[in-house]
Amino acid sequence: MGRYHYVFPKWSNLLLPGALLFGATFPLYAIYVVAYGFSPATTDVGYMPKQPIPYSHALHAGELGIDCRYCHNTVEDAAHAAIPPTQTCMNCHAHIKKDSPLIQPVRESWETGEPIRWVRVHDLPDYSYFNHSVHVNRGVSCVSCHGRVDLMEEVWQEEKLSMGWCLECHRNPEPHLRDPSLVTNLAWKFDGEAKEETEYHAKLRDQFAINPSQDCSACHR
Amino acid sequence: MILTIVGSTFALLPPAIAARMRSEMSREPRIHIIQNMDNQSRWKAQQANPLFADGRAMRLPVEGTVARSEIRIDDHLERGRIMMDSQEVWATTVPAGLEIDQVFLNRGQERYNIYCAPCHGWSGLGDGPIHRRAQRLVDGSPSESYGTVWVQPKNLHEQMYVDQPIGQIYATITLGARSMAGYKAQVPVEDRWAIAAYVKALQLSETEAEQELDSATDDASMGGE
Ligand code: HEC
Ligand code: HEC
Ligand code: HEC
Ligand code: HEC
Ligand code: HEC
Ligand code: HEC
Repeated sequence: MGRYHYVFPKWSNLLLPGALLFGATFPLYAIYVVAYGFSPATTDVGYMPKQPIPYSHALHAGELGIDCRYCHNTVEDAAHAAIPPTQTCMNCHAHIKKDSPLIQPVRESWETGEPIRWVRVHDLPDYSYFNHSVHVNRGVSCVSCHGRVDLMEEVWQEEKLSMGWCLECHRNPEPHLRDPSLVTNLAWKFDGEAKEETEYHAKLRDQFAINPSQDCSACHR
Repeated sequence: MILTIVGSTFALLPPAIAARMRSEMSREPRIHIIQNMDNQSRWKAQQANPLFADGRAMRLPVEGTVARSEIRIDDHLERGRIMMDSQEVWATTVPAGLEIDQVFLNRGQERYNIYCAPCHGWSGLGDGPIHRRAQRLVDGSPSESYGTVWVQPKNLHEQMYVDQPIGQIYATITLGARSMAGYKAQVPVEDRWAIAAYVKALQLSETEAEQELDSATDDASMGGE
């Protein structure tokens, strides 16, 4: 017996290569899981909070064709895009479906002066600076950053809004440029050959001398 | 062997959860593990601030005060009214400092299409998509219209409105008229004048088109070329 006291069973031969394989793949696996799992594409995109009123962009902006600026009227002049006050809804809903239970919170807000507490969907960290007017007046459409809002029943976050995402476009803005009068037309597509499209974008870039900043101080001020 | 199978099954779990989170919408607040200084103790535009009773971070002006840019001392610019023979009348021109040129009219057209066309229609005939929808509700069953009452937005080519001075059109945009709401809060003062100028231009183009049509039919009825 003595000689065979410390002999490991045969399968234990697999332990060493097994451990090596694990040691080699686990870091890769961990990196993959963190990069994939903690990317804003996982944690942030698709955020669709429940709003106090089932207000639908698909109906108002899509089907009824109301321009984004009818409600978000500061978007061309200010850093933020104003969420409309109750008055704006009442322009129509003082007459249209005024007794609907879905409109009731709007009327209550109108009568009491209490603002409607919409839940913020897009929210950059407070240490970063964003400005709507610089983008919209240079012909970057809402659709580049918010997706097809005019088809959404409820607004969700479509893009990552990470620093890498901002820079991706700041390095190569051309494919996102269009005539500034078309920024709120989310369905717009360039009509023509690929070559003409490239020229169209390049021309717009020249016309407005567009050169988006990549300096840290542009977005962290 | 079993260990490997169990292990790799568990290893597949996190990516599976992540893939699911990617493909689905979420009602829950975003997960930010490292918060850094994401939320600082300052308020962004239009945020809610629990410090105030009404919850608004952006404060309303104190009652009885006027912001510097909002002093209404220029009656022509602010109200569309001018003095003529010591009587107040509607202005028939745009205020000093504004000029009706192509740029101004283009601006007016763009603003008209945003703020007026939904009701009055793109050519001002009073047939915009909101009107058509509201009319459908009024005509439909009462249980679905939920108390909709609707006055048709005016056809801006009616003689009455063609005769209205530009100052009166401006005042309607600013303050509204009967069942139409005012657009003072949504549209800045220069843009309201631009819209008024564009409405006047729109009426003119319609009148001209009619005259052309009239003279064309006249020609036709006279058998002329
Ligand atoms: C009739 C008024 C109205 C119109 C027209 C309108 N919106 Fe909105 N929008 C709102 C209201 C009210 C909210 C807040 C509630 C919500 O998030 O759904 C909002 C929210 C949003 C948000 C999310 C804001 C956040 O919290 O991050 C985006 C993005 C947006 N709108 C884009 C658009 C775009 C693009 C258009 C034009 C295609 C448009 N909206 C047209 C009223 C309007
Ligand atoms: C320019 C006109 C207009 C404005 C401004 C407007 N709406 Fe509407 N809204 C409509 C019309 C038209 C309908 C469709 C009625 C229908 O056919 O069901 C509607 C429908 C709705 C409905 C569904 C009501 C129901 O009972 O089915 C809700 C909720 C609503 N709107 C909320 C809002 C809110 C909140 C705002 C302000 C941010 C707003 N609307 C601004 C014209 C408007
Ligand atoms: C270059 C990208 C970009 C474009 C173009 C853009 N947005 Fe935004 N939008 C953002 C970002 C980023 C935020 C979040 C801002 C923050 O958290 O401070 C935002 C926020 C908003 C909000 C919430 C209120 C606010 O300002 O925080 C609304 C409403 C909105 N956008 C509407 C619009 C509309 C309407 C358009 C088109 C006319 C538009 N946006 C074009 C990136 C963009
Ligand atoms: C789809 C393209 C696009 C995206 C995405 C985008 N930008 Fe921009 N950005 C532009 C363009 C185009 C300009 C205009 C540059 C010019 O006028 O030369 C600009 C300009 C700016 C400016 C003004 C820079 C200056 O020179 O002062 C700031 C600040 C800015 N962007 C911040 C951001 C932030 C923050 C984000 C991400 C949340 C972002 N942008 C995402 C295209 C984009
Ligand atoms: C185009 C705009 C833009 C520019 C230019 C920019 N940043 Fe950012 N940065 C952002 C935005 C937006 C965020 C927030 C991203 C997020 O939500 O994770 C951010 C986040 C960061 C963070 C925090 C990252 C984290 O997850 O904690 C650091 C650090 C940072 N930036 C440093 C820099 C430095 C250094 C530069 C210059 C080389 C720079 N940034 C240039 C937009 C910008
Ligand atoms: C929500 C729908 C709606 C919108 C948007 C709207 N209107 Fe009206 N408008 C009406 C209605 C309804 C009337 C008829 C009011 C009545 O007779 O009770 C009217 C009447 C008018 C009149 C005639 C007033 C009078 O003296 O009899 C003028 C002029 C006018 N609108 C111009 C405009 C202009 C310019 C805009 C854009 C800034 C605009 N409207 C936007 C619904 C609207």
